[in-house]
Amino acid sequence: MEDDSPPITSKRSSPDLFFPVSDSEEEEDVVAASGTLAGPSSSAIATPSTSTSTRSRTINGKQSQKSDGDGVIEIFGSQNSDDIIPIDNDTKPFSSTASIAGPSKIKRNLSRSRSRSRTPPASSIPANFEGGYLGEFVCEGWSLSKGKGYCSPGSKVIFERPKPKNQDDDNKSTNTPLKSQDRSGPARLVNGKVVGAKAKPIGGKQVTLGSMMGKKAATAPPKKPTAKPVVDSIIRFRNDRGFVGRLSVQEAGFLTHLLDTGIITLTGHVIDCPPSLSTGSTILLNVKVFLARKAFEKVETDGRKEEGTFWQEQKETTEEEAMRKRKDALGALFSRIGVKPLRSNALLLAQKKNGAAVINETSLQHFADSPKPKRSPSPSKGSNASAGEKSKGKISAVNSDGEEDEGDEDSGDEAEKLDDKQLNEIDSIYRKAQQGDNRLEETDPPDTFLYTLRPYQKQALTWMSAREKGDESIRDNQTLHPLWEEYAFKKEQAEGQPIEIEDEDDFVDPSRKFYWNPYSGELSLTFPTSNTRAKGGILADAMGMGKTCMMASLIHNNVDADISSTPPPTNETDEEPASKRPKFKQVTLSNQWRAIPTVPKPVNVPRGTLVVCPVSLASQWHDELGKMSEKGTITSFMWYGNDRTDIERLLAQEGKKKVDVIITSYGTLASEYQKWKKNKDKPTYEGGNLYDHEFLRIVLDEAHNIKNRTALVSKACYDLKGQRRWALTGTPIVNRLDDLYSLLHFLRLEPWGHYSFFRSFVTIPFLNQDPKALNVVQYILESCLLRREKTMRDKDGKLIVDLPPKTVDIQVLDFSRPERQIYKHLEDRAKRRFIQLDAEGRAMSNYTSILAMLMKLRQCVDHPLLVLGKATEDDETTEKLLDAETGDEKGNLKDLIAMYAGGAKSYSTSNGNGDDEIDHAYAAKVLKELGEQETTPICDICSNEMFDEVLLPCYHRCCQDCIVDWIGTCEDQNKPAVCPSCSKGPIKLSDLRSIQRKRKRVNPITGKHIDGSNGEGETDVTIGKVDLVQSTKLRALVRKLDSIRQEDPQVKSLVFSQFTSFLDLIETTLTREGIRWLRFDGSMSQAQRATTIEEFGKKINEPLVLLISLKAGGVGLNLTMANHVFMMDTWWNEAIEQQAIDRVHRLGQDKHVYVTRYIIKGTVEKRIMKIQRSKTALVNASLAGGAAKDKGASLADFKKIFGLDEDDSDDEVY
Amino acid sequence: MSALPKRILKETERLMADSPPGISAAPKDDNLRHFDVTVAGPESSPYEGGIFKLELFLPEEYPMNPPKVRFLTKIYHPNIDKLGRICLDILKDKWSPALQIRTVLLSIQALLGAPNPDDPLANDVAQNWKENQSAAIEQAREWTRQYAQ
Repeated sequence: MEDDSPPITSKRSSPDLFFPVSDSEEEEDVVAASGTLAGPSSSAIATPSTSTSTRSRTINGKQSQKSDGDGVIEIFGSQNSDDIIPIDNDTKPFSSTASIAGPSKIKRNLSRSRSRSRTPPASSIPANFEGGYLGEFVCEGWSLSKGKGYCSPGSKVIFERPKPKNQDDDNKSTNTPLKSQDRSGPARLVNGKVVGAKAKPIGGKQVTLGSMMGKKAATAPPKKPTAKPVVDSIIRFRNDRGFVGRLSVQEAGFLTHLLDTGIITLTGHVIDCPPSLSTGSTILLNVKVFLARKAFEKVETDGRKEEGTFWQEQKETTEEEAMRKRKDALGALFSRIGVKPLRSNALLLAQKKNGAAVINETSLQHFADSPKPKRSPSPSKGSNASAGEKSKGKISAVNSDGEEDEGDEDSGDEAEKLDDKQLNEIDSIYRKAQQGDNRLEETDPPDTFLYTLRPYQKQALTWMSAREKGDESIRDNQTLHPLWEEYAFKKEQAEGQPIEIEDEDDFVDPSRKFYWNPYSGELSLTFPTSNTRAKGGILADAMGMGKTCMMASLIHNNVDADISSTPPPTNETDEEPASKRPKFKQVTLSNQWRAIPTVPKPVNVPRGTLVVCPVSLASQWHDELGKMSEKGTITSFMWYGNDRTDIERLLAQEGKKKVDVIITSYGTLASEYQKWKKNKDKPTYEGGNLYDHEFLRIVLDEAHNIKNRTALVSKACYDLKGQRRWALTGTPIVNRLDDLYSLLHFLRLEPWGHYSFFRSFVTIPFLNQDPKALNVVQYILESCLLRREKTMRDKDGKLIVDLPPKTVDIQVLDFSRPERQIYKHLEDRAKRRFIQLDAEGRAMSNYTSILAMLMKLRQCVDHPLLVLGKATEDDETTEKLLDAETGDEKGNLKDLIAMYAGGAKSYSTSNGNGDDEIDHAYAAKVLKELGEQETTPICDICSNEMFDEVLLPCYHRCCQDCIVDWIGTCEDQNKPAVCPSCSKGPIKLSDLRSIQRKRKRVNPITGKHIDGSNGEGETDVTIGKVDLVQSTKLRALVRKLDSIRQEDPQVKSLVFSQFTSFLDLIETTLTREGIRWLRFDGSMSQAQRATTIEEFGKKINEPLVLLISLKAGGVGLNLTMANHVFMMDTWWNEAIEQQAIDRVHRLGQDKHVYVTRYIIKGTVEKRIMKIQRSKTALVNASLAGGAAKDKGASLADFKKIFGLDEDDSDDEVY
Repeated sequence: MSALPKRILKETERLMADSPPGISAAPKDDNLRHFDVTVAGPESSPYEGGIFKLELFLPEEYPMNPPKVRFLTKIYHPNIDKLGRICLDILKDKWSPALQIRTVLLSIQALLGAPNPDDPLANDVAQNWKENQSAAIEQAREWTRQYAQ
């Protein structure tokens, strides 16, 4: 604004004021307008749109359009009445000052309106808005006349469309003045008042909105495009002398439609032409383009179908087509003029770069098709239908169809995975979306809710209540709707000036913005924010922050829908507390209200809350709801197995049997869904299914269960009927952005809940490696997701959750020699095979077999036995490796002693070493010691207490690891392995005998525990063959368990593995070590799981270990009684592991949490860890168990995993 | 650098706290597997009165593989060559993981007291030792005076 220095003003014919800031200006406009009208120029515009006509009055070539700023507009809208008062200060000077002052005011207003505006874009066009100057371009035209003197450089021209007579007339009459005055009007004042344009609406009072509409409607003919497409790209221009030419086809092509529909108006002048014209000679023209009011109205018209506009008259398809043409034409126009957005979604830019793939008919269709939110319509609010909303036509059918079609596309699409960096960005997205969340108000839960909520939980309650109520103002969101771009009208340049743009910035008046949606072709003057009518959202607080608890409080806050559910919510007693300030009273009020459950519930009113959760959590929900609720207030029912009955009847029960919450599992839901689908249309169908009831609220716990949108369970969730929809998950985005889509679809958040939409704006850009695709995600999340993390601080700077510290220890272990051999053998074989397949180009067609090989390797890292059990083909080698240990000789101490006493030679003689004299005295001492000793001796080799003590033929003892390592080293060096202590030997692995003792104090309780054979209560020592195929990890685990139990005799630990077969082996070992354990895996029934958890929670006087399969128990369980977590293997996805750890590190934990992860050096694990970080393709392919789509990518990953693309050097950490 | 095994820590502790007579060993600051060692020449040997510096390094595989030890001080000894390398069986094939730094150093000290020219490393020295033992011993004394005091 400041640019407008008076001098310029005076020089240029006019328009300093882009927008009328003050009343006075308005008045000026009026004046100007009237004055302007005098000038008789013919209108260029063929279309008889109101806007055009208005414009024509403008005096100077500078169109009045400049005068209108969008922002301004809005503001003025409210002030209109005042504006109208004509004051005569025609002084230009004023205008300039005024304009300066203007912006700030405008901005203020803008922001106000923005924050308050749920209003859809384009909803409001200020009455005084005429149009805006968009920019100019130079193009060619051909002369259609001959002779001299028709035109000369600088002469004005008017553009026309050859049209049906009536229209032409119309146009002419209205538009006449367009050009004429350019020069004359240097008066500028008047011109300046170009604003006159604005004045029009006002001054020419005739031109009310209504009348404009009317005109437009009359204008309907624009259909022409369809009618006579061929004829249509002709645009003529003439000047006041009647000279006629035709605009070059190139430009005319896209201008035609816009002119016809009245979206733009044109003015122009000749830049250059031959002195003497002949037909077809080239004329160089400068064309100025103005966006007419109609451009902005149209959208609106479209949206409210009530008006009899052209759009409405059209059939669907025509409308779409018109929209598309408009969009394409505008797009071409913008690029022709070189208008650049001030602000735009980076995503859009990316897409444009990519050849605008998205801007095609299909995408448009999707846009137009996006389903209308079924439950959304709260007519009260959105009288101004938003751009977005209007377009939501009908569609659910289309919707689902479209989805099926694309169904297979997503599951295997590896490239969609987020890599490490992007995941980090997601974090920052969350963070951004979280800004200001700590300022949310706190809502106290009703008294019937017995737990005390933490402040952030109360905030969540506020937010959730607001979401349910549809009140989005709780959290301002000011992000530009991602589909829209922000532009500014330019100042018009004086004609004399070079056309070259000097510096964009000089011409952009920031406060005069307008918005364009390049996907739909819509234009808007108001700031387009998203419009979400979905009730509900995603509660994505980090794990362990009490999501269940918060949701329970919400349920308490509003058990039944009786009142609030009805669309015109008059007395929303329940929800009020959420809304603004008076929390306390409100809550109480609602309590009282609810406390009297005598209110009869209408049968058909949506009521009840459906909670869908993993089966392992069902009973936890049930229990916790019970614990949190005052007796008799909330009753939950487990909809599971045989307990299922008739849903309606169940929910209709009154009094004591009243059921408020139905808890079911994803599995049950899916089967219910199938049943329902199959039967619902049969005449015999009786109902009673979950799908026959409309719930007040649906809650998906651990909602990432539906991240795969093609999965049955996801579809089952989509189809549930419920007014308010909630997704609880700590990981809304597990490993790709599409995960989010499914949640949005479930929430019915428009338009994102439409797959092709989401795909166009998120997935595809993302595939194109534009990290800014995440902007869209951020935008989406901002509107519907609440996420807090444990590390966040409240407004006072205190941590919102005060959890005890967590220490993660990554133990990088070395294989024992035999393990290494077995592993090496497997790995070499796998590598060889892979290389061979790869060389033959068949690697990807043998995808599954490669995955199987990988699986073997991963298991082998855990425990060689996992692999050996399933030996195939050429596993002889490994079997040989095992041979040594397969013998089942076991001797117990007594036998040995007896043997010795009886003069028998030590068993080692069998190895031909009998000539080595054994020190009998020493042997006797050792054997005696074995029987008596309670402390563990120190190993000579490692200087630690012996672990897995073994006995050598010479009766010296060592750790098994140490001696095995020593024997191996000797083998490598081709020297005989002798006893480190006495040099007797050589010794072989098969000579070793393990010494196992059971501690007396251990008294296994678990049912599964095998009691020692020795009931006499002495230390039970067994001497047996050495189990060489022991697992390094397992031993490390046992060692660690042993050491922590010394610190805390009642320690409880969780041990996670993804292989239940490994859990089996761990069981055996723990049993042998006398450590009590429990087990939790997917094979257990719901009841068994519940019992196990309960059992685990009991206080006992010894350490207790819970063995959990990662898949079954990684999620949701609350196991804060434990404070040690052991991750035995590496899962492809770090988020899952995080989930597992958070079983323990969550609200309720009061001890320091220790996490130990075991990794074996130099194995696939290291590489999996790497991949885990980069989240690349293969990972997800394996996760999904499906074939990869992107073969190139997975091939690369395979290579990575097999270590073929890098040297597997040891200097790396793992 | 991976963490120091417990065994090395323990050995180091003990060496520092309770070193065998005439022997000192301390790890370097920058590498705890690398020791500065001094060994006093045994009494009634040509090396008596000398203080010999050695360096000792514990390889990654220790204790499965023996430490590497070398004299830094010039010494006239049939089993120690010009570069300070030592010919001692326990540092080679007779190594046992039950041996320790301490025992290795004691063995070296013992080697000084009992040169074994029949298993020479420095051939010229061994030759001399065999042919003219007293001259060789005198030479050893001389070197000790010259280099080790």
